[in-house]
Amino acid sequence: MRHPLSPLTYLTRNPSKVLPMGFVIVLCVFLIAAVASIANSIDLTVRTIYRYTEFFTYVIPQRSTQIVPMDQRAVLELQPEIERIIEGGVFFVNIKTVVGRLPFVVIGSNPEERDYLLKRIGATLESGRMPGDGKAEVVVSKPILENRGLKLGDVIAGPLDEGGIAGSPVPVKVVGVLKSDIWVAMSSRTFTDKTFLLTPKCLLFTTKIPTDLDVVNERLMPVGRKADGLLSPEKVNVLTRASLLAEVRDSLSSMYMIMEVVSATVIFVIALMSGMLSNIYFTQRIPEFGVLAALGISRARLMMKIVWETVILTVIAWAIGSVLSVFLLTYLAANVFKQRGLFLDAMDPWAYQHTLPIPVAITVFAMVTVWVRLKRLDAVSVIERR
Amino acid sequence: MLTCNDICLDYVEATRVTHALQGVSLDFAPNKLHGIMGPSGSGKSSLLYILCGLKSPSSGNVSIDGKSITKMPERERASLRSERFGFVFQQPFLLNYLTALENILVGVSPSTLTIATQKAEALLTDLGLDGMGDKYPSMLSGGERQRVAVARALIGNPSIVFADEPTAALDKENGYKVMQALANWAVDHTVIVVTHDADMLKGADIIHYLMSGCLIDNPHTNVR
Repeated sequence: MRHPLSPLTYLTRNPSKVLPMGFVIVLCVFLIAAVASIANSIDLTVRTIYRYTEFFTYVIPQRSTQIVPMDQRAVLELQPEIERIIEGGVFFVNIKTVVGRLPFVVIGSNPEERDYLLKRIGATLESGRMPGDGKAEVVVSKPILENRGLKLGDVIAGPLDEGGIAGSPVPVKVVGVLKSDIWVAMSSRTFTDKTFLLTPKCLLFTTKIPTDLDVVNERLMPVGRKADGLLSPEKVNVLTRASLLAEVRDSLSSMYMIMEVVSATVIFVIALMSGMLSNIYFTQRIPEFGVLAALGISRARLMMKIVWETVILTVIAWAIGSVLSVFLLTYLAANVFKQRGLFLDAMDPWAYQHTLPIPVAITVFAMVTVWVRLKRLDAVSVIERR
Repeated sequence: MLTCNDICLDYVEATRVTHALQGVSLDFAPNKLHGIMGPSGSGKSSLLYILCGLKSPSSGNVSIDGKSITKMPERERASLRSERFGFVFQQPFLLNYLTALENILVGVSPSTLTIATQKAEALLTDLGLDGMGDKYPSMLSGGERQRVAVARALIGNPSIVFADEPTAALDKENGYKVMQALANWAVDHTVIVVTHDADMLKGADIIHYLMSGCLIDNPHTNVR
C-alpha cells in the first residue's frame, strides 16, 4: 500500500488540479522545442543542402580572373593529402529555402570526372540517364527534384528564371535522377563552356582520405584567418563546409540571440504563472496542511511533499511535452517544412536542452512561494477556521 | 504526566489587551478522562492548544514528564505531537482525496504502514465503521467522519489525546459514540476533552471549569 501522503496519491487523485498545470508545461515545452528546432533548422538546412562540401572543396577565382591562377593551382598540387584536382564549369539553378530562393551550383564536367565525383559522394542513377555531351541537360539528386517539385524531363533552369545568378540562356532539362541524400547537380563540361562564357571556372579537389578534407581546407585558407593560409585570398576563395557554417552562424547570430531572449522570457513567464498556480492550489490546500501540521507532521516533511509533487508533475509533463514535440515536429518536418526547403531535426538535442530550465524554474519558483506560505502557516487558525 | 503552571495568554489588538487565560495551573493525571468546561470565550480551546504545543502562552510553562513543551523548538514539538499526542477537532478535517482508511494513516510513519494498516482496520471495527475503510469522506455521514477522526487520533497509540469540542457538530447519538470511544481510550491513556456540553462529560474522571480565562477551584471528580 502506498502511503497516503505519497505525492503520487495526491497527483493521481486530483486531476482537476494537476492536469491544467501539466498541460501548461507540456505546451511550454513544445513551444520552446519548436522555436529552438526551427531556429537551428536554418543551420541544418545549410548543412544539408551544401553537404557535398564534405566530399570536395571548391576553389573559385577572385576578381576578374576566369580561371584559378596557375600559382594557386600549384599550391593545391603540392598538398600530399589531395587525391585529385578537377576543373569544372559551373552554372546555377534556383532552390527553395526558408530564407527564399538560393542559387545551387551545377557542375559541368566530363563523363569520367562526373562519374568519379558521383562515386565519391555515393550517388547512383535512379532513373533516366546522364546528361548528353554539350546538351542542355542535367542529372540531379532526388532531394533537389522534390524541392523544386519537378519530375524527370522538366526544365530546371531557363532564361525566365528569377533571381541573381541562377538561370540559363537556354532551357535546361532534367534527364536523370540520382539516388542520394546529398544534394548534387551535374551537367556536361562542353555545355557549360559553350553556354556560360563569362562564368569563372572553378577547381574542385578531393582528398585520398575523405576526413582529411577539413585539415587541408584549414591549411589552405583557415576560417576567419584567410591571410594565414597557403592560398592567396586576393586571388582565390575557398568554399568549404567550415567557412559556409561559420558564415551562416555569423549571419544568424542575432537571430539566435533573439531566440535565447524569447525562450528565457517564455520560461520566466511560465515559471511565474506556475508559481502563481502553485500558490492558488496551496491556498486551496491550507486546511490540509494546517491539519497535517497540527497532527505533528513537520513543515520540512510537508515541504518535501510539495516539492516531490511538483518535481514529479513537471518531469512527467516535460517528458510528455518532449515526446509530443518529437511527434509533432517529425510530422511538420516531413509534411510542411521539407517542401519549403527547411530541414528540421525533430530530435535536435540542442532544442530539448533549451526546455530543461522549464521544470527546474517551475520547481524552484513553487518551492520558494510555498516555503514562504508554509513558514507563516498557523495550524490553530486553520483548525479554529478563523 | 502533563502539567501546566501559571499559564497566561494575552491577545493584543491595537491598544486593547484581552486576557484569554490568566494563571492557569493544572496537573493531568494519567489514565483519566479530563474534561475542560466553560462557556464560549472562556479560553478552554486556547488552553487545549497551549497544552498540546500548538500555541505558545504569553507566560507560564507546560511540561510533559518534567520536560518543558513551551521551550521546545517547533520541530521538536511537531515530533512530540506526532509521536505522543492524538487530536480530535471540532470538525473532522479529513482529506477529501483520501479514503477513510488512508485518512487514519496520514500521520503514520511509512516504515510502519503495514502494521498500522491492520491496526487502522481494527480501529474502524471498534468504532462501528466496519467495511467503510475504502469510502471517501464525502460518502460518510458527519458522525462517521468524526469517528474516522477519532481513529486517526488513536492510530499512533498516543499517551495523551486532546479533543476540542469533538461532539459539537454531531447529534446526541453520534456524540455519545465519540465520547464512548474516548472514554475507552482513557482506561489506560490520558484524554483531555474540551466542551461546553456537560452531557458529553458524564463519563469524565475529572472536570475542570474555566470562566473568563480563570480556572475555577475544586474540580468535579467522578469515580469510575
